[in-house]
Amino acid sequence: MADPIAAALKVEHLHVRFAERAVFEDISFELAAHSTLAIIGASGCGKTTLLRSIAGLITANRGRVMLDKQTIDQLPVHQRGVVYLNQEPLLFPHLTLFDNVAFGLRLRCLSPAVIRERTGKLLARLGLDGLRERYPHALSGGERQRAAFGRALAVDPKLLLLDEPFTNLDPDTRTGMQSLFKEVSREQAITSLFVTHDLKECLRIGDRFAILSNGTLALYEDKQTFSEDPRSGVSTEMQFWRELIDKNSGK
Amino acid sequence: MMRRALGWVVSSVLLLPFPVLILLSLARRWPWPAVFPRDLQTQQWQVLLTDSSSLGAIILRSLGMGIGVAVTATALGFACSRSLARHRHRDRLTVFLYLPFAVSPVVLGVSLLYTFLRLHLAGHFLGVMLAQMIIAYAYAVLLLSAFWNQRIEALVELASSLGATPWQLWRRALVPMARPLLAVCLFQTFLISWFDYALALVIGSAQVSTVTTALYQYFSSGDLRLAATCSLLLILPPLLGLALNRRLLSATIATRLEDIDG
Repeated sequence: MADPIAAALKVEHLHVRFAERAVFEDISFELAAHSTLAIIGASGCGKTTLLRSIAGLITANRGRVMLDKQTIDQLPVHQRGVVYLNQEPLLFPHLTLFDNVAFGLRLRCLSPAVIRERTGKLLARLGLDGLRERYPHALSGGERQRAAFGRALAVDPKLLLLDEPFTNLDPDTRTGMQSLFKEVSREQAITSLFVTHDLKECLRIGDRFAILSNGTLALYEDKQTFSEDPRSGVSTEMQFWRELIDKNSGK
Repeated sequence: MMRRALGWVVSSVLLLPFPVLILLSLARRWPWPAVFPRDLQTQQWQVLLTDSSSLGAIILRSLGMGIGVAVTATALGFACSRSLARHRHRDRLTVFLYLPFAVSPVVLGVSLLYTFLRLHLAGHFLGVMLAQMIIAYAYAVLLLSAFWNQRIEALVELASSLGATPWQLWRRALVPMARPLLAVCLFQTFLISWFDYALALVIGSAQVSTVTTALYQYFSSGDLRLAATCSLLLILPPLLGLALNRRLLSATIATRLEDIDG
């Protein structure tokens, strides 16, 4: 378990059910500040529901969510300080890339000079500086995802929830985005939950790991213990590659 | 070649009434079977635009009514269309919105008249406006409910998680995103009010004159030249509105809605 004093996020006995079906029951975990918990699970296992219930986009039937020692269950979505990044790189179609990234800052009524400076720095860091006047329809999938990521970072969230954000990208762009996320989240000391169904992405992104399956969450403190559990699929994956290498070298 | 000829025919049929109206509004005499009027004059325009006919006041009243109906119906319609789009009985409720269009405006006016008389709204500007609002509001909700889809709802959630209060959500995200559709809705609901005749006649009870009721009065008095002049005044504001809306109706809708739909 993470050190409770340093834990930024604390989820206790979270329970969500839709109609008669329980998506998950009694999920509890803690996440240390400035770290990333990568959650892996099959499609439909409740990964998105878990993130959405923490963000307040759906109401949990039971349980408690604490962020920086404050219970946030009863807070409306806009007061939680939790940004939820969708699988789709959603940008506001009526705004330029610059205005999209500055969207959250404008909501906080910051001065135009501060908004310009902060947004400018982020765009430069994300390699989007030359595209600031472009509208979303004129951007590639990777550029849109970087812009959506930048917009989330701009508001300095207490917790960032990423719901398979790189799924729709081509392999090269995806790898690039994973590296960028890793670098930027380290630089900006981001606390995040990263949901994916891709094992390699999970291993690349996470500081800690979890498997969501059959309504329960199994937690792993490091890559080693995660990889050793057959449920993670790491051993199966490794066996596949070993067999392939052996087969090729046998030829 | 064939398509071009067909285009000319359709355009001519559609545009033919306008030159005829202009000539009629300027004619001193246009005896049968002359193709064009014998003498031209501006007397009809002078009559209508001077105080003697009070048409200026009628035009202003109709404009005020149209703008009031358009703004109120669009604002209410936009808010209600979201509730409708999220409602689990959405299809059933939509049927109710078609009801004002299923009956003739005269029938609608007559059915409203008794209630409006009791509320002292018959024969009043506000009464006519409220009656027109019923049709305009239903139209606005139906038109604007097309805006709400899963992508918009995802953007709403995103804006909230970025810190948008409910008010900021509307002001900074929803209204700007729906601006092209809202412009179309404002224009169309204005036209519903501006071209309304039956409700103004029944609910207005000859106490509230609008441009359409005035036009009918000129027509029934047998003065076709004055009626033609009044008709031109009737179609002028919509034409101006259409010209102003042209860019929104074409380019903006095409690009932005395409992006919203994904």
